[in-house]
Amino acid sequence: MSKRIWQHPDVPADETTVAWRSTGQLENTADFREWLEREFPRGAAEMANQEEAETSRRSFLKLMGASTALAGFGMAACRRPEAHILPYAQAPEWVIPGKATYYASSFPRSGGATPLVVTSFEGRPTKLAPNTLHPDAAGTDAFAQASVLDLYSPYRSTRVLKGGKPSSRKEFDAAFAELAKDSGAKVGFVFGRDDSPTRTRLRKELAGRFGNAKFYAYEALEGDAHKAHGDGTRYVADFAKADRIVSLDCDFAGLDPIGPVTPFSERRKPEGKGYDQHASKDALNRLYTVESGFSLTGGMADHRLRIKPSQLLQVAAHIARRLGADAPVGGVPIPDKRLGDWINPMVDDLKAHGGKSIVVAGSRAPEVVHHFVAAINAKLGNVGDDKPLRFVRTGTEGLGDIEQLTADLGSGAVEHVLFFTPSNPVYDAPADLKFGEVLAKAKTSIHFGLRTDATANAATWHVPASHYLESWSDSRTATGVHTVVQPLILPLYADCASELEVLAALLSEEGALATGEGEEGAASPALVEVRKTFEGLAGDKEEDWKKFLRDGFYAGSTYESATPQLDSGKAGELVAKAPKAKDGELEIVFATDGSIYDGRWIDNGWLQEAPDPISKVSWDNVALIAPKTAKNLGIYDKIVTLETPTAAKPADGEGQHRTGQLIRIKANGVEMEVPVQIGFGQAEDTVIVSLGYGQGFSAEDELGRGPLNESNVGLVGINTGFNAYPLRTAAAGYFAALEGAPAITGKSYKIAAVQEHHAMYGRALAREVSTLDDSKKGDFEHQLASVKKHGMDSHAPPNISLYKPVDEKGESLLSDPLHQWGMAIDLTSCTGCNACLVACQAENNIPIVGKEQLAMGREMHWIRMDRYFAVQPLKDDDGNYVEENGEKVLDEDNMELIPQPVACVQCESAPCETVCPVNATVHTEDGLNAMAYNRCIGTRYCANNCPYKARRFNFFDYNKRNPLVPHNLYRGPLGEKQVGTAAHLQRNPNVSVRMRGVMEKCTYCVQRLKDAKIRQKRRQKQESLASGESTKTKIGTPELRIPVDSVKVACQEACPSEAISFGNLLDEKDSRMGRAKSVERNYDLLNYIGTRPRTSYLARVKNPNENMPGASRIGKATIHMH
Amino acid sequence: MANFFPRWTNLLPFKIGICVIALGAGVVAAFTYYATPKTLAVGYQPSQPIPFSHRIHVEQLGLDCRYCHSFVDVAGHSNVPTSNTCWNCHQHVQQESPKLQPLRDRFDPDHPDFGKPVEWVRIHKTPDYVFFNHSAHVNRGISCQSCHGRIDKMEVVYQAENLSMGWCLECHRAPEKHLRPMEEVYNLEYDPEQYIADNPHLGVKTTEELGLKLKELWQVQPRESCATCHH
Repeated sequence: MSKRIWQHPDVPADETTVAWRSTGQLENTADFREWLEREFPRGAAEMANQEEAETSRRSFLKLMGASTALAGFGMAACRRPEAHILPYAQAPEWVIPGKATYYASSFPRSGGATPLVVTSFEGRPTKLAPNTLHPDAAGTDAFAQASVLDLYSPYRSTRVLKGGKPSSRKEFDAAFAELAKDSGAKVGFVFGRDDSPTRTRLRKELAGRFGNAKFYAYEALEGDAHKAHGDGTRYVADFAKADRIVSLDCDFAGLDPIGPVTPFSERRKPEGKGYDQHASKDALNRLYTVESGFSLTGGMADHRLRIKPSQLLQVAAHIARRLGADAPVGGVPIPDKRLGDWINPMVDDLKAHGGKSIVVAGSRAPEVVHHFVAAINAKLGNVGDDKPLRFVRTGTEGLGDIEQLTADLGSGAVEHVLFFTPSNPVYDAPADLKFGEVLAKAKTSIHFGLRTDATANAATWHVPASHYLESWSDSRTATGVHTVVQPLILPLYADCASELEVLAALLSEEGALATGEGEEGAASPALVEVRKTFEGLAGDKEEDWKKFLRDGFYAGSTYESATPQLDSGKAGELVAKAPKAKDGELEIVFATDGSIYDGRWIDNGWLQEAPDPISKVSWDNVALIAPKTAKNLGIYDKIVTLETPTAAKPADGEGQHRTGQLIRIKANGVEMEVPVQIGFGQAEDTVIVSLGYGQGFSAEDELGRGPLNESNVGLVGINTGFNAYPLRTAAAGYFAALEGAPAITGKSYKIAAVQEHHAMYGRALAREVSTLDDSKKGDFEHQLASVKKHGMDSHAPPNISLYKPVDEKGESLLSDPLHQWGMAIDLTSCTGCNACLVACQAENNIPIVGKEQLAMGREMHWIRMDRYFAVQPLKDDDGNYVEENGEKVLDEDNMELIPQPVACVQCESAPCETVCPVNATVHTEDGLNAMAYNRCIGTRYCANNCPYKARRFNFFDYNKRNPLVPHNLYRGPLGEKQVGTAAHLQRNPNVSVRMRGVMEKCTYCVQRLKDAKIRQKRRQKQESLASGESTKTKIGTPELRIPVDSVKVACQEACPSEAISFGNLLDEKDSRMGRAKSVERNYDLLNYIGTRPRTSYLARVKNPNENMPGASRIGKATIHMH
Repeated sequence: MANFFPRWTNLLPFKIGICVIALGAGVVAAFTYYATPKTLAVGYQPSQPIPFSHRIHVEQLGLDCRYCHSFVDVAGHSNVPTSNTCWNCHQHVQQESPKLQPLRDRFDPDHPDFGKPVEWVRIHKTPDYVFFNHSAHVNRGISCQSCHGRIDKMEVVYQAENLSMGWCLECHRAPEKHLRPMEEVYNLEYDPEQYIADNPHLGVKTTEELGLKLKELWQVQPRESCATCHH
């Protein structure tokens, strides 16, 4: 904080990067400038209109008068209210009131289970963290973090339904027993695509007991990869061994994992994973990505090729052709020059790294592409037990798919069908299968699920499924490690049943469905089965079983390696059948949704509110369309209401009034309307729509689509988004040709997008360097050395602080000799996946605010995941800029995406602290910028003065009043309360639940830091007592300081790419954080304003291949705006 | 113009001023006296479902605090004992005492209260936004007595200190007044003067000197910043 005057130098000639977070910023609309200049957008701090402002001044006075009068009756309440302490009657094992216990478990899912350590307070699981002991530990993603909320969701299914109507478990049990007794029954079982050893074993036993049983696996977004590699066979990547990685539309760092992703990010750090080596580009890996729209993986790529999805085959075939791989390349046309120029140097690079590279195709890419990719990897020698790629045989052999199930149901080969899949086939099966109609032919259909979704309501029976934190099971991680799924709590609702319990009941004589805890505490039959499987694997020693439960996995277990069953004849047939890419024809991509996956998370408030990592839209899906295509179609100007920078502010377009234009698109003969947004870095002639939304609408729906399927979703998911599933067919499940051009309908739809909220303008916020030599910036070493001098920091004079860092006695205000906390965030490995954002929400009791409030800029996320696009202007051979209509032409082929998580950076000279009139935000001795919530009076001065825009204000009592009930927040004391609903059981008891009118922000998980410090003191006391006399024992700094890197904050723990390091600055280079801060590419955000932040960032490093087109324009995404 | 106001009104504003000041001072004084934790909380002595006497158990029988409050040095909460802790002894002693009837009911399978917890009335309470941690205190030489008083002398427990934030800070600013050797933390009969007399090797003369010595020896630095208790 200082007052200085300096002259801005001219923008250096080489600083030409254009960077933006949103279309508004790119076009510099008045709307965006409004967001930029105001801490709180127009309307955020005011009652929007009279209708909403039901507590007007007049009614407020009325209520106050009445409450004052009533206070007289209440004088008796001046007595202290009587509170009770209820100790346990019988103390449960291990439970210490007020202390968390930790159990190993795992979250089963199709790409391989996520091994977890679950935090439990007095029997309530509240927080998930990765199990770092596990060989396949790779952090967690947003889905895993948010899955704990599903357990407590108020919209979870709690009772048995019969034909969509409430029924009872007793009635169901009777019907079920009858089915179980009929060993000739034509039963079909539909599982998910995850792999559970016990389920596989029981499946085989069931096949013995029910002669006519058939087994299927279904997940909506499963793709055809398994068809190419052979039944039950798939590949697993070991990124530690890969120098070069080519992703053909595979979002392996995000939604489409192919193995633990942590080693991939480790190899992107020039200083090594622990920041303990001299910076070198030699060990860096290089990622080439070929995709239609940006994915998180594409954002990490060193080189990225934008293609239409139908061109993927051409790209794969061309790579195979150049390599001379054994694949039927003849039938595939040679790609055009743009693609060829990109592919050729890449293939040369691959050849030079044979045996040390990975070429992967997305699991949803067409089967034929997988044939080519397998041939390419075989040719490169990448496949083998000690090679980067390994083919494994999973336990999912012998399972039919949805098409077979539809056929069997239609033909009567299956009469009774049991659904265990987490997907929702009535809603999300390919539209041409007409699954809903076929299902009606089944005599009995029983759906087990957490939600009463479309399938639940269409089935003859719906039984609420136990959450994975409530049931015994086992699972396999990506590489096949046998991992436990351990319950932390008995099922919350008596009707719940788990998959293994159902399978075990079918195997029993009477078919009695025993769930949860049996008579006199008898174990669930699922536990018996899980243990039996384990004993088959590891023997029946009690010790081994205990170790399995403690560690969460059985050491040494893995999938056996397999050889892919490739059939080049079949590949040739598929080539002939593959849809041909046609010039000028628009294609629609049915993308996996970054927030709700295939739609299964639609009722999860944390995920719905977390902005989509790419489009930054919350609560809805939108169609993304490349800017050039939008211009060609003549709709760009309508999407972005173009204004000149001096134009007046439009009435529409800001805050809660932001809208998206609806466009009409048609594919496979089905039409849909969906709001459109500009998708930067997207291939031309593509429209990308994510799946999973639009599952149900009520009468409140903005577009009047309801009431429709209202019972399929809870309050979270109702009226959100647009359903693209009807456009999808079995043959075109991933992409399809659009019929006709998208047309603007003239209608608009409210969109809640956070991309312009809390914008920090320009000033080299996210910085990037390249390993390639640059004519102006020098070689890699030089570029690293100058990271601290990017942007404003190149010419700002040194700071003269007006604040003294000492108190009146001359002692440092940061007086703690034991701990001084600090954080470093490495942008080179951050993918922008939102795992930290959701983990923070779970740890710190952060409420959701709902779409309406979010649109007004009132989101509560303590971590803001900024996402910048950056691009360089094109130059011709003479070094002059290419211009068109007087504007520089941008190199859209090499557009970059940089995510940057920003939370409170804990400034040592914090601007927020000096403006608080009540000292509610003050500094602690150990360097935290603390918030005393109970002292805050809500002036919001601090947020206005925060240059990082890291503070969030509780405009309403989001924790107490349900923000999802329409208009509820505006009803004041008359609003519907949500206190006491199950969701409150998830709260972290060590963090205050904030009320209305209180400011909040990140405090480095101060509750965890405090806990660690107290634990350390306790340990010292034990030692001093053991030594005999405490009055003779010295306890000093070495004893009281917590061990190096022994405490982790929630975001750091969750991060799958280990981008966040946190620790004690006084540990210096012993701590990973200390080492990270000492590397050259470490810089402070807004360093020149002199706030001395404790969180610093490490510039992103790109490792381009100099022979690739546009290589010199990569690695320059530093945002240089002055 | 006639004089609207008679002469005696000249001093009226002054008199009103005095009255207002006096009233204001009275309200402040009354609030301070009647409405602060000192008067509201100190001495709160509700009757409990079982009239448990700390005096009998601690002073006469010599039970250690941690026999029942077993996690006080481990966790933030000091746990109230479970029914089976009581039952350990009381299934054998005082089998007929009518005072223990509620406890026996909880172990009687035919009684409606079987298996239910005893509903003890809470006495010491800090607000929800205060995260007080017992283990941080008792492991650093602060005795139970400093906050709870001479529990061992109480027939029925009452609140001895006001537990207000100012009271917390008093000790956080000058912990030497309360620090004692770690061996003596649970000894409610601890007499610092006696201890000093018995341990001349410590080289201290007063309680405060002992506190200062321990403070330095163990590097006790109580925090005064908000995040110490509020997060």
